[in-house]
Amino acid sequence: MFKQKKFLIGGIIILIALGYLGYTAFAGAATYYYTVNEVLGKGSSIYGDTMRVEGQVLVGSVQQESAGRMWKFTISDADGQQSLPVIYRGVVPDTFEEGNPVVVEGILGSDGIFQAKTLMPKCPSKYEPEV
Amino acid sequence: MADIGYIALLLALVASLYSATAFVFGKRRNIPALVDSARNGVVAVCGLVSIAVLALLYAILTHDFQIEYVASYTARDMSLTYLLSAIWAGNDGSLLFWAWLLALFGMIVVLQRRDVGRELVPYASTIVMVTEVFFLFLLLSVANPFHKLSFLPADGRGLNPLLENPGMLFHPPNLLGGYVGFTIPFAFAMSALLTRRLGDEWIVSIRRWTLVSWLLLSIGNIIGAWWAYVELGWGGYWAWDPVENASLLPWLTGTAFLHSIMMQRRRGILKKWNMVLVIITFSLSIFGTFLTRSGILSSVHTFADTTLGPFFLVFIGVTLFSSLGLLYYRSELLNSEAEMESLVSRESTFLMNNLFLVGAAFAVFLGEIFPLISEAVRGVKITVGAPFYNQVNGPIFLAIIFLAGVCALIGWRRSSVSNLMRNFLWPLAIALVIGSALIILGVRQPYAVFAFTVCAFVLTTILYEWFRGTRARRRMRGDNYLKAFFGLLGANRPRYGGYTVHIGLVLIAIGVIGSSFYNVEKEATLLPGESMSIKNYTLTYENKDTFQTETRQVDSATLSVFNGGKLLGKIVPSKYYSVSYEQSVTEVAIRSTPAEDLYAILIGWDDAGATSFKILVNPLVSWIWIGGIVLVLGGLIAFWPERRKLPVEIRVEARETVGSVSNKKSGNGINKVRSSSEARRG
Repeated sequence: MFKQKKFLIGGIIILIALGYLGYTAFAGAATYYYTVNEVLGKGSSIYGDTMRVEGQVLVGSVQQESAGRMWKFTISDADGQQSLPVIYRGVVPDTFEEGNPVVVEGILGSDGIFQAKTLMPKCPSKYEPEV
Repeated sequence: MADIGYIALLLALVASLYSATAFVFGKRRNIPALVDSARNGVVAVCGLVSIAVLALLYAILTHDFQIEYVASYTARDMSLTYLLSAIWAGNDGSLLFWAWLLALFGMIVVLQRRDVGRELVPYASTIVMVTEVFFLFLLLSVANPFHKLSFLPADGRGLNPLLENPGMLFHPPNLLGGYVGFTIPFAFAMSALLTRRLGDEWIVSIRRWTLVSWLLLSIGNIIGAWWAYVELGWGGYWAWDPVENASLLPWLTGTAFLHSIMMQRRRGILKKWNMVLVIITFSLSIFGTFLTRSGILSSVHTFADTTLGPFFLVFIGVTLFSSLGLLYYRSELLNSEAEMESLVSRESTFLMNNLFLVGAAFAVFLGEIFPLISEAVRGVKITVGAPFYNQVNGPIFLAIIFLAGVCALIGWRRSSVSNLMRNFLWPLAIALVIGSALIILGVRQPYAVFAFTVCAFVLTTILYEWFRGTRARRRMRGDNYLKAFFGLLGANRPRYGGYTVHIGLVLIAIGVIGSSFYNVEKEATLLPGESMSIKNYTLTYENKDTFQTETRQVDSATLSVFNGGKLLGKIVPSKYYSVSYEQSVTEVAIRSTPAEDLYAILIGWDDAGATSFKILVNPLVSWIWIGGIVLVLGGLIAFWPERRKLPVEIRVEARETVGSVSNKKSGNGINKVRSSSEARRG
C-alpha cells in the first residue's frame, strides 16, 4: 500500500516525534511508589525526593489545623510496625477516613515528616460496602 | 424472586451455549432450520436475561434486603430514580446490566433487516453469544447478584452519598453501553475473517454500531467529567485516574476505527489495520471493565472485589490470541486494492489522525500499566501522574484537532498545492487575525495562543466548508440560505454529522485549553464579615448555617460575590454529613458564565468561627459541556438513518467519480460517494 517512500518516511518521523514526546514527559513525571516500610528502610538517601507512599491512616492520628486547611496524620503498612508522620496542606477528599488506605504524593523532609501535596484515598470499601 | 432471577440466568447460559454452537453447525452443514433455531435462541437469551434484570429490579423496589446486593446498595429512604440506578451501582449488578445489554444488542443484530452482511450474522452471533456465556458464567459463579444473606437486615446500607447525583443515572449506563456496543463490530470482523467474506460487507454492517458505541462512550465520559467537576469538589473534570483512562482508551481506538473504516470503504486500503483496531478496541473495552473490578491499580472507582480479575485476564488473553491468530492466517486475503498517492490528500490526514489517536492510546496505556511493568522488571513501582498524560496528550490532541480542520477542505486522493492555497487562504487568515487579537487582548502564554489559533482555524475551515456548500446549493436550487443549509446537512448526514462532532471537539478543546492555562486558585480562612479577592472578584463571607434534615447534618456558608464593587449574587458552598452512610460530603458552589466559572469549596471551620474556603476561577469550562452537547448532536446526525434512494445515489456516484478524478468538486462536498467500490475502480 505504501510503495512510495514518502509515506514511510513521514510515518517514521511522526513515530519518532511521538516517542520523543512520550520519553521527555515520562522523564519529568515518573515517581517512585513505596510502602511505608520501604520508605523508612531507605533512610536519609531519599530525603527531598518526590514520591508516592501508600499506607493506612492510623486510627486516632488525624488532626486538623487552620480550620481544615492543614492535616496531620500518621500512616503505616498493614503490619503496623513502622509509621510515617504526614503533613498535608489542601482540601481533603470526602472519602478520606481513619483506618483506610491512602496514597500521598510529596516530599520526605529531613525531619522525617512527609510533606504531602496530594492525597488520594484508596477507599476500597466505599463503593463496595461490607455487609 | 431471587430464585427466578438465578434460574433465568442459568437458562440463559444454556440457551446462549446452544445458540453459539447451533449457528456454527447450521452454517457449516448448511441447515437453515438450525440457524433459525439458533436465532430464536438469541431472542430467548435476551428474554431470559431481561427476566433476571426485572427480578433484581423487583427485589430492589420491594426492599428485599435478604438479597445481599439489595442490602448493599439500597435503603428504604432512597428515591425511585436512585433505586433504579442501583442496578448498575454495584459490581454484580453492573455485570448483569452488561450481560443484558449484550443480549439486547445480540437480539437486535439477528432481528435487523439488512441488505448487506446477512451472511455474516450467524458467526457474528456466535461471537456475541460466546461473550454472553462468559458474563453469564461470572454472574452464576463469582458475581451472583441474587446471592442471599443468612439473615434479614432491617435496612440496607444505601447508596454512597457521593454517587447521589444525576450523573449516576447516566454516566455508568452510557459507558457500559459503549463498552458492550463494541462487541458487535468485533463480532462482525471475526465473522468476516472466519467466512473469508472480507470485502466491504462487514464494514458496511457495523458502521452504525460503531457509531452508536462511540457515541455512548463519548456521552459517558463527558457526563463523568461533568459529575467529577460538580460533585467531587477538587475543581477539575479529568484527573487521569486509571479508570478514567480505561474508558478513554477504547474511545481513542474507536475514534481511529471510525475514521479508518472510511478509508477502506472509499479506497479499499487499511484492511488489516481496521481488523487490528477493532480487535484492540474490543479488548480495551473488556480491559476497562477488568480494571474496575480487579483492584490492581489504585483508583477512586475501584470495586473491592478482587476475585474477578483472573477471569477477565484469561478472557482478554484468549480473545487477543485467537483473533490476532485468525487475522494472521487470513492476512493474504486482506491486501490493499489501491495505493496511497499523495501526501497532500484526505487519506493522508486520516492516516495521520489514526497514528496520533493510536499513539495517544498507547501512551495512556503505557502510563496506566507502568507501575506493573516496573515492578515486574525492576522490583520497584514507578507511577506517572497527570503531568505525564497532559504533556504527552496535549500536543497530540492539538495535532488531531488541526487535522480535523485540514481534512474538511482537502480532497480525496490528491490535492494540488494551488487548490489547497485557495481553500485555506480565508480560514488561515481569519485564524491568524483571531490569534493576533488574543495576543492584543492579553493572552500571552505561547502554548495557549498557539492552541487557540489552531482551534480558530479548524472552526473556520469547517464553517467555511458549510458556507460554500450552502452557497452552491442555494445557487443550484434557488433555495434560501436556511433551507439550503439544512438541505446540505440532510443530503449527507454522515459527513455533516462528522463535521458537527468536530466542532463539538473544538469547543471542548477551547474549554480545556482555557481552564488548564488560566485557572486561578486561592485558599483563605475568613471570619464572618471578612473578604478575600481572587482575580476581579471579591468574596465576602457572610455567615454559616447549620441545620439538620432527616438524613443529613448540613453546614453551609454564604459568600457574597462582588465584581468591582457590584454585587453579583451569593454562592453557598456546603458540607453535609450523611447520617446513614457515615460520610461527609462536600457540595461545591459554582457560579457559571460562558467566560468563566467561579468555583467555591467549603474546606472546614474551627470553633472560633474561622472558616476556610478554596476558591477557583476556571475560565471557559462551560464550553466543555456545550461542546459535549454539540458532539452528541453531531453523532446523532451521523447516526440518523439515510433515506433509501438508490437510483439517485448511483447517479450521484457517477458524477462524483468524474469530479474526484478531475479534482474540481472534491471540496464542495454536496454529494459524496457513499459506496466506494464504483469510485475506486473509476
